[in-house]
Amino acid sequence: MKRINCWIGLLLAAAITFGAVMQASAQTPQGAAESMLEQVMKRGVLRVGMSTFVPWAMQDKAGNFIGFEIDVANRVAQDMGVKAEFIPTKWSGIIPALLTGKFDIIIGGMGIRPERNLKVNFSIPYDHTGMSLVAHKKVAAGFKKLGDFNSPGVSIAARTGTTAAAAAKQWMPKAKLRLFDDESQAIQELLLGRIHAVVASAPLPAFQAIANPDRLFLPLKEDFTREPIGFAVRKGDPDALNFLDNWIRVTEAEGWLKERKRYWFESKDWEKLLK
Amino acid sequence: MKYRKLRFKPLDGVLVALLVAAAFFLVHRVGTEMQYHWQWPVILQYLIRVDGERWVTGALAQGFLMTVKLSLWATVLAMCLGTLIGLLRVSYGLFQRLVAGSYVELVRNLPPLVLVFIVYFFIGERIMALFGVENLIRAASPETQDLLSRLFAPPARLPGFFAGLATLVFYEAAYIAEIVRAGIQSIERGQWEAAHALGLSRTQQLRFVILPQAFRRMLPSLAGQLISTIKDSAIVSVISIPELTFQGLELMSATYLTFEVWITITVLYFLLTFTCSLGVKRLENVWQK
Repeated sequence: MKRINCWIGLLLAAAITFGAVMQASAQTPQGAAESMLEQVMKRGVLRVGMSTFVPWAMQDKAGNFIGFEIDVANRVAQDMGVKAEFIPTKWSGIIPALLTGKFDIIIGGMGIRPERNLKVNFSIPYDHTGMSLVAHKKVAAGFKKLGDFNSPGVSIAARTGTTAAAAAKQWMPKAKLRLFDDESQAIQELLLGRIHAVVASAPLPAFQAIANPDRLFLPLKEDFTREPIGFAVRKGDPDALNFLDNWIRVTEAEGWLKERKRYWFESKDWEKLLK
Repeated sequence: MKYRKLRFKPLDGVLVALLVAAAFFLVHRVGTEMQYHWQWPVILQYLIRVDGERWVTGALAQGFLMTVKLSLWATVLAMCLGTLIGLLRVSYGLFQRLVAGSYVELVRNLPPLVLVFIVYFFIGERIMALFGVENLIRAASPETQDLLSRLFAPPARLPGFFAGLATLVFYEAAYIAEIVRAGIQSIERGQWEAAHALGLSRTQQLRFVILPQAFRRMLPSLAGQLISTIKDSAIVSVISIPELTFQGLELMSATYLTFEVWITITVLYFLLTFTCSLGVKRLENVWQK
């Protein structure tokens, strides 16, 4: 009898804990009824989710964040009259982290995709990027067009959860796709000649081909996709979206976005900050 | 027992020479076959460098410090929780035993990686939102924030840090609970009986007689658990806590210095755990006398 009582006690305790957790989760994180804008102004800090992508966002020698997206985020924060705070997050888990309120916005070169848009809201595009391909000189000798890579004997690498992985699947469905947690691992694999090519957003493939001219080359002259890049915020917040859309229109009109883009993507002046 | 004095024999010399040759061969292979360009001088600035006139810590050194902080806090807190659960494990009440037993079995039979995600996305987030931890931190005075960032992590990283810390505490506490249980159960029955005969209550028996003796027996294992905690702390890199592994991964994706960074990380972890394990050995010698 005593034993039965104990089990009942345990069950009750479990039920109460479960109930408490459910009730807690029913409360929206920090009151979603309030716009992200107001929360940020009250806090004085814009929490930005990002992930390392050279040259969009990376850490310099001192551990400070630098890059195109970092400049954009700092300017957004400055125009809101607050400070930007960067929360580096693994790319594959960045949308769940936004949804659970780990940060207010994703400014990390996120390509606007319908399946992502079902979960988060995107601003209008502030940038465009394209997918490009860098290949191994020996392993992929003679490969000149996308069709050459689309065969069962070819393996392609991309970063998990990126639009690069989606593009590789779409354009080279017959090739074997291998996914890595970041580009450096994929490039390492390519340098070793274990795979034929790496798909990534331009200009990364071009930079890698320049850095390793003896082993890598660019089989395609141009990017094979063109993707709009937007800010991602949680759903149900028209005020934040309106602010971001108009922020993009203003900075675009100023020519500021173009100037920053030229600095990070066409010059390599920033490389001395890194090494 | 007397140990025979160890002497360096010719065979040992051959073995050492072979090992050194193997290491050189490996490095040579990486250099030629894989055509890897070693860039060791670059690594130094990620540990320490001169900024103007001051010496400042680089990204890897910051990660190293974070790992030390995380492991120390996790060990201290896990020690408290673990002792409590260990005591429940040996209590007379069936209910207490069931609760503690379920906890230990549940946590020890889950992969730590899964535990990290559960705490980070479900439990940690909800509980911290419930108490408004983040707003509390932001509202705190600059002195408090400075103290917090010295003790734990900079304000921006605190919620993540606490989630990671909580995971490590839950995980390590399960093992510490078993150490405590084993320590208490290793004390001879006679000690309990003698304490009982003196008219001590059960709490007093534990406090004055059993625990002081058990603690001495537990110390080596507990110190060993600290080393485990340091090693386990690498898993919280998946929730973006800037400890050594995470900083290393970030650095690799920015600089592509894969081999140099991994080797540096290995050396840093080894230095940390090996120092600890030498300390533990010394402690054991002291206590055995």
